Amino acid sequence: MSLAKPAMRGLLGKRLRFHLPIAFALSLVAAAAFKYGVTEPRKQAYADFYKQYDTTKEFNNMRDAGVFESVRPTGE
Amino acid sequence: MHCGKYIKSQTVKLCIVVLHIDGIRSPLASRCYSHAKVETDEEFDARWVTYFSKPDIDAWELKKGMNTLIGYDLVPEPKILDSALRACRRLNDLASAIRILEAVKDKSGPHKDIYPYLIQELQPTLIELGISTPEDLGMDKL
Repeated sequence: MSLAKPAMRGLLGKRLRFHLPIAFALSLVAAAAFKYGVTEPRKQAYADFYKQYDTTKEFNNMRDAGVFESVRPTGE
Repeated sequence: MHCGKYIKSQTVKLCIVVLHIDGIRSPLASRCYSHAKVETDEEFDARWVTYFSKPDIDAWELKKGMNTLIGYDLVPEPKILDSALRACRRLNDLASAIRILEAVKDKSGPHKDIYPYLIQELQPTLIELGISTPEDLGMDKL
């Protein structure tokens, strides 16, 4: 039983025309997923933390812990 | 393939990528906006059969021809391979003849139906010239 002639030209082109748009789209999806799954929540977490941050209170806590060289803890 | 299909803003880059690969269906050296005459598949095949049919082809030309041919986005037609195998015979180069068979099997990539078809078509030539296939020699296994 003799074999029929298969397609022998343009095989790579056909493969690329199929796969490249998918690859392009998947890359965009991956980038979007990372942006909205990681970076935006991270930015929001920082924003939320600093919204209620009392700089003076935290400074005094650090000062009393003795971590500064430029100011001594209160009372010394 | 009509190139206007690709002219959308996000796929302009894709069009440039596609154009730079010689993988556009049928004509080999085709650019969407060029006025150059496009070579047909038959003309391409005839050109390569003629190339390998040169009676006094030398070893360099054989190698160069094969390497160029393998660089294209196609598996060479049986008639081109027949011409190349006969050139190997004229050059007493059995090694290259078998290598040509290995090369076209590799060119087929995932399309497993191409190589058996080529061997089927080349069988008379292989028998006439006394060329063993890599499978006959057990060279297809690692």
